[in-house]
Amino acid sequence: MARWHGRTGRNRQEETHVTTAVSIPRTGGSGGHTAVAASARQVVKAYGSGETRVTALDRVDVDIARGQFTAIMGPSGSGKSTLMHCLAGLDTVTSGQIFIDSTEITGLKDKKLTRLRRDRIGFIFQAFNLLPTLSALENITLPMDIAGRKPDKEWLDRVVETVGLAGRLKHRPNQLSGGQQQRVAVARALAARPEIIFGDEPTGNLDSRAGAEVLGFLRRSVDELGQTIVMVTHDPVAASYADRVLYLADGRIVDEMHSPTADAVLERMKNFDARGRVS
Amino acid sequence: MTVLKTSLRNFLAHKGRMALSAVAVLLSVAFVCGTLVFTDTMNATFDKLFANTASDVSVGPEKNDDAQATGRPATVPASLREKLAKVDGVAKVEPSANSRQLTVVDGRKKNLSPTSGAPTVGTNWDESQKKSVEITSGHEPHGPAEAVLDSDTADKHGVRTGDTLRVIAAPGDFTVKVVGIATYKTTNPGAAVLYFDTPTAQAKLLGSTDAFSGYGLTAASGVSDEQLKERVSAALGSSAGDYALRTAAESKEENKKDVGSFLDVMKYALLGFAGIAVLVGVFLIVNTFSMLVAQRTREIGLMRAIGSSRPQIMRSVLVEAVLLGVVGSVLGIGGGVALAVGLMELMGSMGMKLDTSELTIKATTPVVGLVIGVFVTLLASCLPAFKATKISPMAALRDAGTPADGKAGKVRTVIGLVLTAAGGLALVAAAKADTAAAGSGMLGLGVLLTLVGFVVVGPLLAGLVVRVISAVVLRVFGPVGRLAERNALRNPRRTGATASALMIGLALVAALSVVGSSMVASATEQLDKSVGADFIIQNENEQPLSPAQSKAIRSAGDVAHLTPITTVNAKLTLPDGKTVKQGLNASVATYGEDLATETVQGRFAEVWGKDAMSVPEGFAKDHGIKLGDKLTVAMVEGRTAGLRVKAITSDDTSINKGGMFLALDTARQYLPADKMPLDMLVFAKAADGKAKEAAESLKAAVADYPQIKVRDQADYKKLIKDQVGRLLNMIYGLLGLAIVVAVLGVVNTLALSVVERTREIGLLRAIGLSRRQMRRMIRLESVVIALFGALLGLGLGMAWGTTAQKLLALQGLGVLDIPWPTITTVFLGSAVVGLLAALVPAFRAGRMNVLKAIATD
Repeated sequence: MARWHGRTGRNRQEETHVTTAVSIPRTGGSGGHTAVAASARQVVKAYGSGETRVTALDRVDVDIARGQFTAIMGPSGSGKSTLMHCLAGLDTVTSGQIFIDSTEITGLKDKKLTRLRRDRIGFIFQAFNLLPTLSALENITLPMDIAGRKPDKEWLDRVVETVGLAGRLKHRPNQLSGGQQQRVAVARALAARPEIIFGDEPTGNLDSRAGAEVLGFLRRSVDELGQTIVMVTHDPVAASYADRVLYLADGRIVDEMHSPTADAVLERMKNFDARGRVS
Repeated sequence: MTVLKTSLRNFLAHKGRMALSAVAVLLSVAFVCGTLVFTDTMNATFDKLFANTASDVSVGPEKNDDAQATGRPATVPASLREKLAKVDGVAKVEPSANSRQLTVVDGRKKNLSPTSGAPTVGTNWDESQKKSVEITSGHEPHGPAEAVLDSDTADKHGVRTGDTLRVIAAPGDFTVKVVGIATYKTTNPGAAVLYFDTPTAQAKLLGSTDAFSGYGLTAASGVSDEQLKERVSAALGSSAGDYALRTAAESKEENKKDVGSFLDVMKYALLGFAGIAVLVGVFLIVNTFSMLVAQRTREIGLMRAIGSSRPQIMRSVLVEAVLLGVVGSVLGIGGGVALAVGLMELMGSMGMKLDTSELTIKATTPVVGLVIGVFVTLLASCLPAFKATKISPMAALRDAGTPADGKAGKVRTVIGLVLTAAGGLALVAAAKADTAAAGSGMLGLGVLLTLVGFVVVGPLLAGLVVRVISAVVLRVFGPVGRLAERNALRNPRRTGATASALMIGLALVAALSVVGSSMVASATEQLDKSVGADFIIQNENEQPLSPAQSKAIRSAGDVAHLTPITTVNAKLTLPDGKTVKQGLNASVATYGEDLATETVQGRFAEVWGKDAMSVPEGFAKDHGIKLGDKLTVAMVEGRTAGLRVKAITSDDTSINKGGMFLALDTARQYLPADKMPLDMLVFAKAADGKAKEAAESLKAAVADYPQIKVRDQADYKKLIKDQVGRLLNMIYGLLGLAIVVAVLGVVNTLALSVVERTREIGLLRAIGLSRRQMRRMIRLESVVIALFGALLGLGLGMAWGTTAQKLLALQGLGVLDIPWPTITTVFLGSAVVGLLAALVPAFRAGRMNVLKAIATD
């Protein structure tokens, strides 16, 4: 189970980096899975080269705990979205390794990566989550349809029930409100029972009430359905729904907080913003 | 100025998206310009050729279109030469002796005649020939056994000096040795030419050393062509009327008349097809601009918000259209010249050597191209430009998302349905019309209305038909198929317009294939019904059979009877006092056995008696002719006969409809032997149970004459089928251009859709649609659009074709035959076309970067 024991990365990390988010027991969980749903090891993501080189992620190590709701926070340009994209296999890394469960996804070819996203990962984007040509239900079952799998009827009913969309399944996205559209996106992410769901500012486009609704569903899916969720956000209130908040700045994980409250997060952010500026 | 700048920037920013529209303009303009350049070049070439060969004044026999087809060329007496030479102002008299009614066969009994329809010419070698050709190997012909052959024919058939050729001419066959090869200095119009010395040409081609085909006169210096013509006319006195006198300019005109009218027909036919391509191009341009405007909704909204007026927005789109039109047209004009050169090369490969250095580009050609290209583009962009002005400033603030789905409007649907219904009624009326004239008008109206109706109602049909096609075709592909279906359905207007472009070309293909196939089926049925002859024997080049050939045919064994048929030209004086020129079919009594001919009155068998004839039903009615009437029949170049009408034949036939019959013996009574027309074709009936032997015997009998074809009924049916097939293939080829433009339209729609749906594509890829599935989705959408267009086009075309057949049933097109193999092939072919159209857009969709796609605004 100690997959990365003996890897040079770990040694280097201990030598050079104090801050790390690798703090989860590496055993436990159920069904033979590790307690870690996803992890990054010494991940570097850089754009350009030479003098114009911009490092978006600078040797990041992170473990995402299974069955937990993790929020990634940080100021604009801190690399939080890049980290999520890399973890989710949407973006390639410059160096380092990304694991989903025990599968290393860095270096996977597009075909396998696509299948991995399809079968093991769920997505909720900030906007434009749904295909306008498909009904709500068709959007929800789309990943399974693409995979050629039959949706588990019972589970589907439960997911639909949880997100409260039972009456709107036949509607097209343009007949739904923004909050409802995001809930359909949440339902789609949940329906395929992925190992992990990534949300990129899932409530960024919603008003606070609709946002609270969606976040409530995400919280419940973790508590009641045992789902693993990673969410990028800049909203302290949204982050307060999470079990654990990771703070990124300048491409590095600089801090973390467990069982956050909105006030605590906000406090930390202020503090952290100031610190970010001096550094 | 700002408007122009914005337009220019937009145009350049979207040059990729504009490219295919520009190609559509380019193709249409290229076709128009290519046609013009090609026909102008042909005209110029012939002008030059005829100017080169014409004498200052030519004297020939008065042209007589009614002359009996005796196979002998018309001549002027040799004695005329002296008379002409004495005319004041004549510097030189050159007699010519030539014939176009001959066949040249090489040592392996192979016909050297051109297959392009150009003539085989035999002529005397004289000074005027040297103007257009020079002998490049060997020497000039001397004596009755020598000839010179033109180099193109020699090259094509591998004839060299020293080879022996057999010449089959009206006066008889003879053999000559090729002593030289003559090469054209100007353009060879494709004819095969054989040169003899003058006495040989006279004797062997004209059948008399006392005659010439005509004289070419050279004017003395200081005497104009017109003056010379006057003087010759005066010198000939009262006999001047027997001859045709022409100045060089008049000869040129005369020669050009035939070629010119052929070129005109070709020009307008080609321009017609170019017009269809232009029409299809309009759809493509409308679609492109609509999509570009839709994609720029936000930008246009912003322009409006910061104070652009509606006319300014309109102008900015129209200026872009003008830019597109100019770019497309200029390239198209260049393409047209290239196309003309290509056509000339093609003609070259078919035997007509055209010199590309004589390429004639009239000043009007680029102007026409530019005007058409710009005007069409501008016209096509009017609707999208108008739509752009309707964009509210609020659009700038709204989330862009995907452009609103264009649904079929109610008004539009009603108009479309009314037009289609009216068109349908017109087609029904055409099908039931009593006269062809009334019916063809209705047919035209019906075709136009149903076409416009289908285009207008296209979006509604898209909704219905695409669902049906998807249910059948796409279900197999599961969710990807469903996505493709939804994409094809999301903007029915766009799908409708894209498919309409394809529909136009395919509708014409389907209609013509139905008519063509019905023609073959009707002819076959008529052959089965009425032809009793086992064999049909005729010359391939539509020339009559020479006496020697007829004799050879008569020598065949195992033949029960032979029925020679010819046409006797005569002038009929009818009971109602009118006189008509008419070709009468002269044959023998067995004709009725070989080709069953129905009569409405009298017995056909009696027509072959002395001084008897038949007239057709309609003719009899029109002129008040009754059975037993005596008609005054003046045979051309013969005597006048009084022939009694012994039968009135039915008009309900497609073979020899409207033909009048009399016995060959009757014709012989009133025509001198040397004016008796030659046999046009001969029917043969095999002796009982000897069909095979008779066929072999007949073929052996005419083995010396490769141009004579002995065809049994099956061969003859195949001949008709091949002829119709060739014609159809040519038309399909020309319609191919319209179809290519339509396919470009599909490519363009897909490419723009892919751009428009970038975020969707990113989303789909993010949630696990593989590249392959993505490509398949785009391809399937393309296939559905193509099949939709094909279905509409084929349906419409079959309706048109069926109507045309019903209408032409009166003209002998009695059998409706829908060529299902062709229709099926076109349908399946359009699916392949759809796949091909999707290649690039699908590739691009597959290659799209997921993250960037999601982040796209």
